[in-house]
Amino acid sequence: MDNLFILIFIPVVGALVLALTGKSASAKTLALLFPLLSLAYSLSFLFHFVPDASMQFEQQVPWISSLGIQFHVGIDGISLPLVLLTNVLVPLIILASYGRKYKGDFYALVLFMQAGLLLVFTALDAFVFYVGWEAALIPIYFICALWGGENRIRVTIKFFIYTFFGSLLMLIAIIYLHLQVPGHSYELRSFYQLALDAPTQGWIFWAFFIAFAIKIPIFPFHTWQPDTYTEAPSAGTMLLAGIMLKMGLYGLIRWLIPIAPLGVAAYGQLAIILAVIGLVYASIIAFKQQHIKRVVAYSSIAHVGLMAAGIFAWNVQGLQGAVIQMVNHGISVVGLFFVLDIIAQRLGTHDIKLTGGLAKPAPKLAAVFLIIVMGAIGLPLTNGFVGEFLLLVGIYNYGLWYAVFAGLTLILGAVYMLRLYQKTMLGETPEQNARFKDIAGTEVLVLGIIVLLVVGIGVYPKPLLHLSEAAVSQLINQVSLK
Amino acid sequence: MSAIITLSLLAVLLLYLGLFKAKKALLPVSLLGLLAAIVLYSIQWDTDAEPLYSGMVLFDHFAVAFSILSLFITGLVFLLSRDYFDSISEHVAEYYALIIFSLTGALLVVSFHNLAMLFIGIEIMSVALYILVGIRKRDFSSNEAALKYFLMGAFSTGFLLFGITLIYGATGSFDLTEIKNYLIANPHSISPLFYSGILLLIIGLSFKVGAAPFHFWTPDVYEGAPILITTFMSTVVKTAAFAGFLRLFLTCFVPLQDFWAPVLLVITVLTLFIGNISALAQQSFKRMLAYSSISHAGYMLFGILSIGAASAGAIFVYSAAYSIASVVAFAVLILVKRSRGSEHFEAFNGLAAKNPYLAFTLSVAMLSLAGIPLTAGFVGKFMMFSGVLANYHIVLLLLAVLNAAMGIYYYFRVIVAMYFRPADREEVTVNANYKAVLFIGALLTIAIGIFPSLLAGWL
Amino acid sequence: MTQAEAVNTSANYLPILFQLIVAGGFGVGTIIITHLIGPKVKTENKLGSFESGIEVIGNARQPFSIKYFMVAILFVLFDIEVIFMYPWAVNFRQFGLSGLLEMFIFMALLLLGFIYVIKKRALEWD
Repeated sequence: MDNLFILIFIPVVGALVLALTGKSASAKTLALLFPLLSLAYSLSFLFHFVPDASMQFEQQVPWISSLGIQFHVGIDGISLPLVLLTNVLVPLIILASYGRKYKGDFYALVLFMQAGLLLVFTALDAFVFYVGWEAALIPIYFICALWGGENRIRVTIKFFIYTFFGSLLMLIAIIYLHLQVPGHSYELRSFYQLALDAPTQGWIFWAFFIAFAIKIPIFPFHTWQPDTYTEAPSAGTMLLAGIMLKMGLYGLIRWLIPIAPLGVAAYGQLAIILAVIGLVYASIIAFKQQHIKRVVAYSSIAHVGLMAAGIFAWNVQGLQGAVIQMVNHGISVVGLFFVLDIIAQRLGTHDIKLTGGLAKPAPKLAAVFLIIVMGAIGLPLTNGFVGEFLLLVGIYNYGLWYAVFAGLTLILGAVYMLRLYQKTMLGETPEQNARFKDIAGTEVLVLGIIVLLVVGIGVYPKPLLHLSEAAVSQLINQVSLK
Repeated sequence: MSAIITLSLLAVLLLYLGLFKAKKALLPVSLLGLLAAIVLYSIQWDTDAEPLYSGMVLFDHFAVAFSILSLFITGLVFLLSRDYFDSISEHVAEYYALIIFSLTGALLVVSFHNLAMLFIGIEIMSVALYILVGIRKRDFSSNEAALKYFLMGAFSTGFLLFGITLIYGATGSFDLTEIKNYLIANPHSISPLFYSGILLLIIGLSFKVGAAPFHFWTPDVYEGAPILITTFMSTVVKTAAFAGFLRLFLTCFVPLQDFWAPVLLVITVLTLFIGNISALAQQSFKRMLAYSSISHAGYMLFGILSIGAASAGAIFVYSAAYSIASVVAFAVLILVKRSRGSEHFEAFNGLAAKNPYLAFTLSVAMLSLAGIPLTAGFVGKFMMFSGVLANYHIVLLLLAVLNAAMGIYYYFRVIVAMYFRPADREEVTVNANYKAVLFIGALLTIAIGIFPSLLAGWL
Repeated sequence: MTQAEAVNTSANYLPILFQLIVAGGFGVGTIIITHLIGPKVKTENKLGSFESGIEVIGNARQPFSIKYFMVAILFVLFDIEVIFMYPWAVNFRQFGLSGLLEMFIFMALLLLGFIYVIKKRALEWD
């Protein structure tokens, strides 16, 4: 009944159908239909999921038998939230892009990317993981480069080469690990059982780490990110920030740390330091930005830095916090970018100085924006709070000073997010902004769902925590970094 | 062997069809001939392969697989030739016949079992090409290309022959089995002649496959020759040369790997960097493809460097992926050049808006050449990388990764031009044959990318 | 160590090597230095191609008649093929019927080539 293959291939079929329908008017409806189907189907996984540490719904068929590659997928407590996140956000993002004149090709790319993402989050075979990793990259490249802003060509090719280089390093590590496994397989479990010596694990660590760090992005591998987020069309930005960067964080949890624990023991501290430097640095820069999308872009670097630090701290609270926060950050950041897109589209500018006083003409937008900003800052009773709190506890358990610096993000985050809110929504309403139209139609629907999620998870986060609890603690027990 | 005889007779038949003004029959007849040859080869697949004609040729799985690949790619090239040759020269029949002759040579190269046969095969293959490259008599660049190719080909053949001679001097035989037995029988007292022979063979074969530092002829020749001939050279001829290279080293020289591997390592690294860095700077799509073919030679050398049971399969898959993608790329280039009269990247601007199908197939080909997953090119690269890593050349692989990232930049330039740079242009008309080739090419590229077992299981 | 062995160590040849290096280095060095420090005057006449003092006319790449060349090369071609018949004739009896057939096939192919040449009018002088 719950067949993961079907879940992964619904978007593929959707992408093919949409690519063939091309320019017909039904593209929009179809484009929503397939992700909704995926969402409905993934709910069935949620209901049948047993919240323990085991790998569930496993499916395995031989793929390339001459190379020992199996198409092996499965879901556990850590991947389920991300699978759900993907399937919830994709229809929302598609709905959010209804205001633009996109055709079948655009939606086909989005759905193709969804399939790649699902593959990454469920893969239990390294080759499948790698294929999914790249399969998600190609469509987002085309989305950004086809529908992006002025500098899109230069920016996107940089983004592509950057990430591709990183993933090739990962490919080397994967092939190397494969050759070490007795019987030569690409199975995740057989990678776990390898007990390689410390120097080998050291370079394996770097090969994976650079690949993931570029994707996440962790300082100093982040330089592609602000430009790409700025130039990408807003749907592309939402996909990148909402879902795609979670690939890197998920990779840390599922692949890097359990495979190379000795490598993490040796270089993990450096990784945390980089993550913490990145988050403080990004927070300060975010405060200076004049381009509204860049503020959120840098805030995103800060948030993922916190998550990466929490993961590398490698304790139950940190990891649990990271899993929760991945979901919550996805929801909030999609909301933020959508609100900014609405503002920018109506005003025709991204300049923070030309906005302002929008709360008067658009009270609904202002209210929704406020709630999402609260969520992003991590105020209690919003979704951001639980995750950030757990993350900070985790980092504190690792070391006091790391927690102090990481805690700075909460304060700095509040400062730049409220500045963004204040500059756009509050204050005098300039003349040209007085006829700003409030949100309506699908915009209300999308933002309404996001607000519901923000508040819902904030007030009652227990079910979400419950999903991953067992898997997280088992993983921590299983892999010791000491 | 019956397939090779069939092809030789086919070429003669084509010449006579040309004499008797049966131009319309040329294409169907040559395609039928190729098909017959493929069938004749496939029948041989599971029979016990014994060296034939006093050990001159051996049609084992290796030979049959590479032969079928060469025949198939030649078939695609022929499909593209409708309307193409007529516009260049009135001697259309000679075109077909010469390509078939060259193909016959290529088939001998992939199935030789005697060094004399390797030499004869390479000569048959090259002599026909010297003429084909220079067939546009009044075009200076074509003349230059032909002369360059001829001189370089003659030089490399000299090296090759000298190498063969030295090996004969050391072992007293041209037969591959005899040479192998010599190495096994005298592991500690191998004649110095033998070592020099190997080095000269490496030089000669590197010329033929276009590996640096013996690559200088490649860009000029590829650019000067008519596009379709370039297609044939960079796919069939290159595949055959690599198959011959591998066959020689796999059968005979494996025990001396410690001696020749470092030499080949230097050649590989040079080839990768020179090919990729030069490709970065190109403004012409055709010339970029020429340099990229050098860099692909570098990747294929991995297969020889990490010589072993898996290398035949890896080179087979790689060359199949590379050849199919190249045919698609050159086919689109022909169409674009026909409508815009230019081979530059700018000529591709805005192609996606007017010809989405054309742009899509070319993108698939470029992604495959760049080695992106779910395309055949990735499977090829993956197998190469696995082979190299199995021999623990991690540093070499890091260099390869660097080059692969560079490759993205220039392969994506054409994608960028097609999709993201708008331009006023007419729709390019695509005739049925081109449509068929592009469709087959893109389909196979993706199919092999998703189900590599289609090819990987052959060898 | 005896006197003879001492003479034969490679170190004893070192002076000769040095002399070679100095001799070669002087020659190469002077050429390079004169090239570097010598004055260079580039005039049009100097850079143009030298045609025995006569002004250059037209392009050197001109088509020329290859009629005689064609006939000559075809002669060489067919002449060489005939050489194969000599060893065959000497061993005619041993080859038997199959040898005869093979030679017929060979000659037939030659004949095909010859007909092709004639049909292409390669032998017509005008």
